Amino acid sequence: MSTGHLTVAAGPAVQSPAGAPATRPPRRRRSLATRRAWAFYAFAGPWVLGFLALTAYPLGYALWLSFTNSDGLSDNSRFVGLDNYKEVFSDPETLASLARTGVFTAMTVPLTIVAGLFLAVLVNQPIRGRGLIRTLLYLPAVVPPVGAAITFRMIFDRDSGAANGLLDLFNVNGLAWLADPYARWVLIVLTLWGVGNVMIISLAGLQDIPKELHEAARVDGASPWQSFTRITLPLLSPVIFFQVVTGIIASLQTFVPLLISLDPTPKGIGSVPESNSLFMIHVLDQYLLGGRYGYASALLWVLFLIIIAVTLIVFKLSKGAVFYSVEPERAKTKSRTIGGG
Amino acid sequence: MSVPATGSLDRRRFLTYSGAALGAAALSGCAASVDDGSGGTGSKSGSTTLTVMCQKEDLDIKAAGKALGLKIRYLQPDPAKLNALLAAKTPPDVVLGSGATDAPYFAARNLMTDLDPYFAKSTVLKRSDLDPVNDLWRYDGSKQGAGPRYGMAKDYSQDQMIWYRTDLFEAAKVDLPSETEPLSYEELLDLGKRLVKRRLGKVKVYGLNVTGLGSFSSLLGMTASAGGSVFAEDLSSVDFSSPEALKALKWMLEYTKADIGPSTVNPNPDGWDWPTFQAGRMAMATDGYWFGGAIAGDPKVAEVSRLAPAPQLGSSRISPCFGATGFWIPKESKNKDAAWKFFEWFFGGEPAQGRAAGGWGVPSLKSLREKMPQDKPYQKQAFEVQEQEFAYFKPLTFTPYAQKDALDGVISKVLPGAVKSGTSAGKVADELNKQMNALIAKGKDVLG
Repeated sequence: MSTGHLTVAAGPAVQSPAGAPATRPPRRRRSLATRRAWAFYAFAGPWVLGFLALTAYPLGYALWLSFTNSDGLSDNSRFVGLDNYKEVFSDPETLASLARTGVFTAMTVPLTIVAGLFLAVLVNQPIRGRGLIRTLLYLPAVVPPVGAAITFRMIFDRDSGAANGLLDLFNVNGLAWLADPYARWVLIVLTLWGVGNVMIISLAGLQDIPKELHEAARVDGASPWQSFTRITLPLLSPVIFFQVVTGIIASLQTFVPLLISLDPTPKGIGSVPESNSLFMIHVLDQYLLGGRYGYASALLWVLFLIIIAVTLIVFKLSKGAVFYSVEPERAKTKSRTIGGG
Repeated sequence: MSVPATGSLDRRRFLTYSGAALGAAALSGCAASVDDGSGGTGSKSGSTTLTVMCQKEDLDIKAAGKALGLKIRYLQPDPAKLNALLAAKTPPDVVLGSGATDAPYFAARNLMTDLDPYFAKSTVLKRSDLDPVNDLWRYDGSKQGAGPRYGMAKDYSQDQMIWYRTDLFEAAKVDLPSETEPLSYEELLDLGKRLVKRRLGKVKVYGLNVTGLGSFSSLLGMTASAGGSVFAEDLSSVDFSSPEALKALKWMLEYTKADIGPSTVNPNPDGWDWPTFQAGRMAMATDGYWFGGAIAGDPKVAEVSRLAPAPQLGSSRISPCFGATGFWIPKESKNKDAAWKFFEWFFGGEPAQGRAAGGWGVPSLKSLREKMPQDKPYQKQAFEVQEQEFAYFKPLTFTPYAQKDALDGVISKVLPGAVKSGTSAGKVADELNKQMNALIAKGKDVLG
């Protein structure tokens, strides 16, 4: 679409010696187009190279590894066909970790979106100190996950943590927070700790909604709840949809349970409590402890396919539930017209 | 958007060029990593960069560079990174590792340099001067302790020897352990129970820690002291169902259940024993003589610290070493001569003498034993106990088919649930056998 726009805007018509308007010399047009092409490729090039080196090549290499019994070190590894993939679907530990990951995703994605939206609505109100409150709520999201996890481990340590110290003040027995059955709740709280990210995106969406719509609704007698459900939510649905998709992908790939485990090092993978032993923990276990590079690569490829499938399902389910203020197709047509193409 | 046909670049060509550039880069990377593995003689003073993967506190980089006339590049130890570098055939020149557990694993994968020719020529590191612990760095393809020498220990400990704090014993009105006779594990557990201090479900002072070097090593040593072995003779399986291993496992379950010290259920939040011991929150720690180096840094703790012999589960008194931490040279190192120069300086030069005098473990050269510190009362006591313990030193063989951390990982997965549900030791043994043997079998399958 921009091609047409720039083509029209680019060169003023060249006058012929006779004074009659002439078409642009083909050589100059080609030169301009070539320059534009070079500019495009110069900007896109680093990304394409990065994609090839850091995404396409590792993906291909991992795919090849997934058909071997490689331990990453020995020269004796051999081709095992689909054996690793067959094991993925028959290994009870893999299936259990996959199920736990599904439950974790189903719990945390709605929770973070609802909590983030709630906070966004709250800090979108005209209250005193709004800027400060927004900053304070967003601050935890700025802390790197490793830092947040270390803090959580210190807070929830059974023998020296602040959480049990607090219980101690009330003469209540301390709990082993980082072990089962409490560990999963600590993980969920840690996930919610970073809800500021969701809040800030929802806030941006809220501020994009024209105030006139709410004013008109109020004039028509709509209650605040009606205004929220009939105006805010539909207009915010593309933002929510974006958060659902990215939230699901992030949750399926999370390895945060290792960071809050009792021994957050590669050798401590085994110490991750069973309830927090999500799919990526199982993958790390196979890679780093088991030395099973072939099988772990198969696990990652299966996860990759699951993520694609889940994303497609979410897109399918979202039809009719997500409202765009500007139709994408319509926007394209409009832009073309404006560009004069 | 279409690019004119006369343009010199189209999408397809662009992608082709990108792929070619990437391929060229990858190929040049491969070319750079090709080496005949001989080490050559390219270690010119000041121009060679020696890459060392070790803990920062293990090496004074500036002193190393100055003494050796080499540029030293330091890498933080990271098993995943090491594996990646080894797989890419661009490993560090010198790598920190455990002779007891890493040597068979890497040697079986043909990743280590045979150092026998270097030892044969060396005037600094003579084979006759090597402490027997260095045999843990030997592997002949089927067992540890024989065959080519692949590395050397920087120092070592008989790791089940107990450091204890006399002030915590006195506070609990408990008699101090003997300096000559080993405790039985039953007595040790009883002492731990008497020394632990709790409040409202929390342990304020640990009575004992036997898991400082991992639960698997502890079980290995306990089983050996009961007269058995966890590993089968060919090292291709474990058996926790044997009477000796089962006895060790029962004790470990009892220790974990008693909650008197760090365990797989409640690991030490400090990461290792020293900060806890220093803070007066651990009465006994099975860390061996090496721990004395840390104790030396705090005179107040040194005053109340004493060493006791390794406890025994049976009648065959042994005192094993689970570490023999030292260095090895990867087979694909580009600077083997420089790496050996580093070996001679680090293991036979000033750093070795400093470590020996500082109490950081028993020196790995017999000639340096006389430098072990005896100035302070705790040092003298520790030296005397250690002197008696040498007679019971026993190297334990480790499997080449799985890494120790993986076997520790299985214990961490199985034990917490078993303790919580009160599963019998026999069933726990069966589960450990099943999971560990599956892991070992897969490792064996790769090695062929």
